[in-house]
Amino acid sequence: MYNGLSLDQAPPISVVMRFFLMVPLFGIALSLLVFLNPEAVLTPNHPISLTAIHLMFLGIISMSMLGALFQMQSVLGGRPIQEPLGNAFIIHIFFVIGILSLAEAFITPLPELFVIASVFLGASVLYTANLILPLLFGSITNDTLRGMRIALVSLSVTAILGVIMASEYANESFSTFHEVIRISHYSLGLIGWVAILIIAVAFQVVEMFYVTTPYSLWCKRNAFRVIVGSLFFKIIWLFLSLPFVWIFDLMIGALLFGFIATTLKRLHQRKRRVRDVSIWFWNAGIALLSIATISYAIFIGSANESLQTMALISFAFFALAIILAMMGKIVPFLVWFHLNSAGYMDVPIMSNIIPLHRVKWLFWLFALTLVMALGGIFFIPLFAVSAILGGLMFSLLLFNLVQALRMYRYVRIHGKRLIQG
Amino acid sequence: MILEFMRDDHRACDHLYTEAENALSANDIEKAKELFTLFYDATNHHFDMEERELFITFEKRTGMMGGPTQMMRYEHQQLRSLLESMKSALAESRDDDFFGIGESMMIMLQQHNMKEEQMLYPMIDRTLGDDGELMIQTLKDMTR
Repeated sequence: MYNGLSLDQAPPISVVMRFFLMVPLFGIALSLLVFLNPEAVLTPNHPISLTAIHLMFLGIISMSMLGALFQMQSVLGGRPIQEPLGNAFIIHIFFVIGILSLAEAFITPLPELFVIASVFLGASVLYTANLILPLLFGSITNDTLRGMRIALVSLSVTAILGVIMASEYANESFSTFHEVIRISHYSLGLIGWVAILIIAVAFQVVEMFYVTTPYSLWCKRNAFRVIVGSLFFKIIWLFLSLPFVWIFDLMIGALLFGFIATTLKRLHQRKRRVRDVSIWFWNAGIALLSIATISYAIFIGSANESLQTMALISFAFFALAIILAMMGKIVPFLVWFHLNSAGYMDVPIMSNIIPLHRVKWLFWLFALTLVMALGGIFFIPLFAVSAILGGLMFSLLLFNLVQALRMYRYVRIHGKRLIQG
Repeated sequence: MILEFMRDDHRACDHLYTEAENALSANDIEKAKELFTLFYDATNHHFDMEERELFITFEKRTGMMGGPTQMMRYEHQQLRSLLESMKSALAESRDDDFFGIGESMMIMLQQHNMKEEQMLYPMIDRTLGDDGELMIQTLKDMTR
């Protein structure tokens, strides 16, 4: 019952870092794919486009979110994950194999890869849900934990729908429900998993990191109800082929705008005014969520595919912006925290673990990649340029993570911090 | 009852810290030192209130000596050590170090506050029952 107050609740640093380290690697793979096939990536439902989408949402976004979940559940949930090293190892390996198989499955004539991807991805997601969900139903409850529960359930259903579709691809036989399953799959994945988890985390960390007024109780209580209700009825409507499904998309859009407005207000009125690049990432992320929501709303009315692409790219960059903002704080903190808690006296301080100038470079590369990617929707060569910039951004992220781990290992081995020349 | 009182004190400490940090950002060194001293005193007083009164009463009533309160005391030690490092950095005009250590301190302090507000204070409120008012008065009477 009181494990949440235990000092040994934090999982070993390798548990989180093994997920975080895969993010830039998948990012570099995605950049290469986009650079070699910019036009195909921008063509809806093209096999290469599907590969790119899954590299982004599984290899980069979900990978980092699973790593963060291991850390957050221990701090917020009050009950540590049992055997974190072994469990993280299994989930991580299965997830990586699953993503690689799925990415290959779309672009190679090997239907068996869909089966392999289904087994590994389905197993890793359901294993994660089975491991973490029960821990989120302890004696403590708050709105962030509620959001984490919903996000994990959404991820599980998304995975199950994905497995169903993968079996259709493997057999090259598509049921009459294929399109309905596809829409449900991406709606649950993008909104139920990614958006809800980010909103849930924002409820906790925006106030905590930047010392803002708390989100209103009404907002916290009703945000998830509106999204879950809208997603639920949208899926029912889709399966029953009922009209006006777009109403539920608009309801989700309205809720997201409420989140955008209230978050921007808090970030703007924050009490901490020190230089902090994570604020830039948060502001960029919130702006991107606005672009994604507006683009999708206009797409619903106009059926213009470019707007749908813009909505998807903006949404992906929204999630990436928040992930980079969080990683910039979590990674240096974990390095410092684990060394400090282990009793080392001479440990690097957070601002030395990932120096400010490198975080600024990361932001500007992110911004340039984004601008080129959005411009690439209308002028394809720019999309290839965005791939080069994206490759540089993920390489810098990899360098930052590796350097942070190097500092950690140095103190563990030598008992004092590494003095940078 | 205890939850509201102590949570308000957490927020007051946060406010003092952000003011000190903002003053240093604006290069107003003297004001930063003055505000940091207020934060330093207020935070240590908060820890003292917990360690000298609140936790001891809770432990006596529940018999839970090595449980959550012990863990919170350990975190207080870590936070006190960070506060001392920040104090030295500020006195020696090592502004970058002050901000760098402050970042760790702030994340740790916020996590610590969150655990207390979500778990420990509600437990204490349940344990103290109607005696909560008396405890708040005792805490208010403690001098800094």
